[in-house]
Amino acid sequence: MGVDYQYVIEGFITAIQPANILWVIIGGFLGTVVGMLPGLGPATAVAVLIPVTFGMEPTSALILMAAIYYGAMYGGSRSSILLNTPGDGSAIAAAFDGYPMTKKGQAGQALTISAIASLIGGLFAIIGFIILAKPLAAFALKFGPAEYFLLFLFTLSAIVSLSIGNMVKGFISMSIGLILSTVGVDLQSGVHRFTFNIPQLSEGIDFLIVIIGIYAVGEVFYNYMSLDRIKKEKKKVGTKWITKEQWKQSKWPIIRNGPIGFLIGVLPGAGGSIASMLSYTTEKQLSKHPEKFGKGAIEGLAAPESSNNAASVGAFIPLLTMGVPGSGTTAVILGAVVMLGLKPGPLLFENNPEMVWTLVDSMFIGNIFLVILNILLVGLLVRILDTPPKILYPLILVLAFIGTYTLSYSVIDFYILVIFGVIGLMMKLLNFPVAPLILAIIVGSDMEQSFRKSLVAHDSFVNVLVASPVTIALVILTILSICYPFFIGWLRRRKQSRA
Amino acid sequence: MRKFFGIMLLLLVMVIAGCSSDEKAGGEASFPSDNIEIIAPATPGGGWDATARSMQKVFSDNGIIEENMNVVNKPGGGGEVGWQYLKKQDAHHIAINSSLVITNNILGQSELTHKDFTPLAILTTEWNAVTVAPDSKFETGAEIMEQLKKDPTSLKIAVAPSLGNDDHLSFVQAAQEFGVDVTKLQFMIYESGGDVLTAMLGGHVDVATSSVSEFKEQHLAGKVKMVAVTSEKPIKGLEDIPTWKEQGVDMVFPHWRGVMGPPDMTEEEIAYWDDKIGKLVETDAWKEILKNNEWESYYMDSTETKKFLEEQTKKYEELLNVSGLTE
Amino acid sequence: MLRLITPIIFIIFGGIYLILTFNMTRAKIGDPNAPLYFPALIGIFLVIISIVYFVQEWKQRKETVEEVKQLFKGRTPFLIIASLVLIFIYSFLFERIGFLYSTILFLTGLLFVVNGRKQWIKNILIAVIFSFVAWYSFAELLDVSLP
Repeated sequence: MGVDYQYVIEGFITAIQPANILWVIIGGFLGTVVGMLPGLGPATAVAVLIPVTFGMEPTSALILMAAIYYGAMYGGSRSSILLNTPGDGSAIAAAFDGYPMTKKGQAGQALTISAIASLIGGLFAIIGFIILAKPLAAFALKFGPAEYFLLFLFTLSAIVSLSIGNMVKGFISMSIGLILSTVGVDLQSGVHRFTFNIPQLSEGIDFLIVIIGIYAVGEVFYNYMSLDRIKKEKKKVGTKWITKEQWKQSKWPIIRNGPIGFLIGVLPGAGGSIASMLSYTTEKQLSKHPEKFGKGAIEGLAAPESSNNAASVGAFIPLLTMGVPGSGTTAVILGAVVMLGLKPGPLLFENNPEMVWTLVDSMFIGNIFLVILNILLVGLLVRILDTPPKILYPLILVLAFIGTYTLSYSVIDFYILVIFGVIGLMMKLLNFPVAPLILAIIVGSDMEQSFRKSLVAHDSFVNVLVASPVTIALVILTILSICYPFFIGWLRRRKQSRA
Repeated sequence: MRKFFGIMLLLLVMVIAGCSSDEKAGGEASFPSDNIEIIAPATPGGGWDATARSMQKVFSDNGIIEENMNVVNKPGGGGEVGWQYLKKQDAHHIAINSSLVITNNILGQSELTHKDFTPLAILTTEWNAVTVAPDSKFETGAEIMEQLKKDPTSLKIAVAPSLGNDDHLSFVQAAQEFGVDVTKLQFMIYESGGDVLTAMLGGHVDVATSSVSEFKEQHLAGKVKMVAVTSEKPIKGLEDIPTWKEQGVDMVFPHWRGVMGPPDMTEEEIAYWDDKIGKLVETDAWKEILKNNEWESYYMDSTETKKFLEEQTKKYEELLNVSGLTE
Repeated sequence: MLRLITPIIFIIFGGIYLILTFNMTRAKIGDPNAPLYFPALIGIFLVIISIVYFVQEWKQRKETVEEVKQLFKGRTPFLIIASLVLIFIYSFLFERIGFLYSTILFLTGLLFVVNGRKQWIKNILIAVIFSFVAWYSFAELLDVSLP
C-alpha cells in the first residue's frame, strides 16, 4: 500500500497551473456564496453548473466541482453563525454555539475560528487521503447494513444524550423526527406510507425543508416576540481576531475532530451532517465545562467545523477509488464526470493517477484560498447584523421560501415549511431540543432500511448486534452514550453529598 | 390597516391583469412561437435529467432549434409530478419518460398512462446485467437460475431503487423463463445503483441486477463478475459476457428512455418534433453523449413509439403480475 | 394545568400514528407486515415516553409556563398571524403569477406588517430591489427554474 509520491508531486504541478488555480478560486467562491443561502447546498450548486462543465477538460471540471463542494462547507456555516439559519445539514452543528457567540457580540471571532477550523480539518483529511485512501476504501466496504444501522443508532443516542437533564424531551423530539422520516414510499416493499395520496410526499419529507422551517422560519417567528423591544443599540460584532485564550481552547478540539470527520466522510452514506453532530457531542462529553456548550463555547463551534470539512474530503475516497458516490453531492459529481467521458472506478487510480492526485492537490490549494477568502469576508458579512431586524427578518423569510422551492420545485413544500416553522417556534418556547429531531429525519429512513436489510441478512436481531467487531463496538458506544448522562448526574450528587 | 390592504389589493389586481394579457399575446403564429421547455421529472443527477440536459445542449449547440430552451426539474412520485405538470402544458413542453410511465399505472401508483400523452420518440436504451462477486461459484446467469429454481430464497439479490423497475423486472423475466418461483425471491432494495455496487463489493449480497453501465468499470477491473446481459447481441467492449439469448432464454429487455408531449397535439406539432428529434439523433454530439453515458441509440419516431408503448404495456402487465406485485 | 396540554398532544399524535400504521397497505412481496415494524416501534416508544413526560409535568402542574405567555404579548400574535396569512397568499400566487411579481407582493406585505407603514417608500424599494436581485441571481446566474 505504498503511496506514489511521484504522482503526488506531478499532480501538484498540474494543480498549480494558472487555469486550474482559476477554477479552484471560482469554484471555492461560488460554493461559499451558494452555501450561505438556505436550502441551496453543494449538490444543487454542482448540478446547475453541469452545463458549464460540458466543454471543459475532465480534470478541470473535477477540480471546479470539488472546489464548489468544500467551498459550500465553508459558506454553509456563515449563515448558521450569523442568523441561526443553517444552509445545509452539515452546517447545523455550527449554529449550536456559533449563534450564541454572535449574540454575545463575538460574531467576527466565530466566523474566523470556523474558517480556521475548516482549514485545519480539511488539511488533515487531505493528508489522510494521500496516505490512506486505498486501505480506507476497503474498510468502508465492510460496512454492511448491520454496521450502518448501529452507526445511525449510536449517532442518535449521542445526540439525545446531549440534552442532559432533559432526556425525555430529547427522546420525544427524536421520535417525532423518526416518525417524519417514515413518510414516503418504503423502499423494501414499495408500499406508500403516510403519503395521503399526495405524489410529492412519495419521496418523503426533505430534511432540508425541515431544517429551513425550524431554524429560519421558526427563528423569525421567535424573534417577532422581541421585535419591538430591541432599541436602536449598535450591535457589537467585535473583532475578527481570535484571542490566545480562544485559540488554546479550540486547538485540541480542531485537531481531534479532523480525523473523526474524515473517517465518517469515507463511509458511503454517512457524510457531513453526521460527522459534525458526532464531533459536537464528542467535544461536549470530553469538555471540563459542558454547561458552557450551547451558550457560545468556542470549542463547540470549532469541533464540528473541522469535522464537516474533513468529511467532505473523505467523501471523495469512495468516489475516486471505487466509483461509489458517498454522498448526495458526490453522486451529482459522478453523474457530471461520466457525461465528460470519465469513468471513476477501480481503474481510475491505475489508469489516471495523475488526475486523482491533481484533484487532491487542488483541494490543498483550495482550502488555503478559502480560509483567506472567508476571513476577508468576515468584515463584510458581519454587516448583515447591522441591518435593522425589522427588515432583516422579512428578507430571511423570503430567502427561506426561495431556497425551499429550489429543492423540489413544488409549492406544496411551502406549506410543509410553514408547518415546521410553527413547530420550531413551539419547540423553542417549550424548551425542546431541536437537534435530535433534525438528525432523526436525516438518518431515519436510511436507518430503517439498514435495519430491515440487516434482519434479512442476519436472520435475527441478536445476530445483527454481534455481526462483526464493528457492530459490537458500536453497541457498546451506544450503551455508554445513553448511560453517560446518568453517570454524570450520579457523580454530581456524590460531589454534593461530600461537600 | 385598511389603507394597507387597499394598496395590496390594488397591486394584486394590476399584476394579475398584467399577466393574463401577456398570455394572450402568443397564439396563432406558426409553431413554435414560444420558449421550449424540456421537463425532467426528477432531480438533477439522474438519467432523466442527463437526457434532458443533453437534448437541450445538442438542440441549441447544433442550431437544430433556434428558440430558447430550458430544462425544468419536476421531481416526485417516480415521474408522476412532472408528467401531471406536462399534461396541463402546450406543445412547447416535452417530458422525458421511461417504462415508469407504464408501470406506475399498473402498480396502482398513478392514474396516468402513456395514452394521456402524445408519444414523440424513444431515444436511447441501456441494457441490464446480472452480476456476482469475482470469486462466486456462478459462471453464467443460467447457473444462478438453476440454483434459484431449487431454492428461490437461497440468494440475496440487490436491486435499486425500487421494486417494479426494469432492473427488478428483467431479472424476474429471466427467472420466470427458467421456471423459478419468482414470488419467493429475496430482493434487497438499495437507494441507488452506487449503493448496490458498494453492497456487492463488500460482499453483503450474492447477486446484483442493474444496468450494464453501473458495473462495467468494476467488471473490467475484475472486482465483480458480470454473468448475463439482456441485450439482443453481445455488448461492445463486453463481448465475453453471454446474453440471455445465448444462455437459452428467448428474452431481450431494453431499459429505454423517450420523450412525450402533452395530450392533443396537432399533426403539425408532432411533425415538428419528429423532424427535430430525427435530426438530433443524427448529430455527432449526440452520439458522443451516448458513448460517454454507455447509452445505445434506440431511436423510434412518433408512430413507431406509439406502437412500441402498446406492446410494452402488455409486457409489463404480465411481468408485474407474475412477480407478485399486482393481482 | 396548561402544562399538561403538550404531553397530551404527543400521546394523541402517537396514537393516531399507530392507528395509521396498523391500517397501512401490506407488502405484496415478502413478509406482508415488514413495512409496519419500524413505524410501530417508534409509535409505541413515543406514546410511552410521552406518558413519562406527562407524569413529569403533572408533578409541577401548578407552575405556569412563562415563555409561552410571551407569545400572546403585544404585537406578536398579530405579526405571526399576518405572516402566516401572507405566506398562504404567496403560496397560492407563486406558480400562478410567477416568482417575480408574487415575491415583490409578499415582501412588500411582510415589510408593511413588520416594519410598519410609515416607512412605505423604503419598504417598497427594498421589496422590488431584493426580489429582482434574487430572481436574477437564481434564475439567470444559477439557472434554477423559477416560475
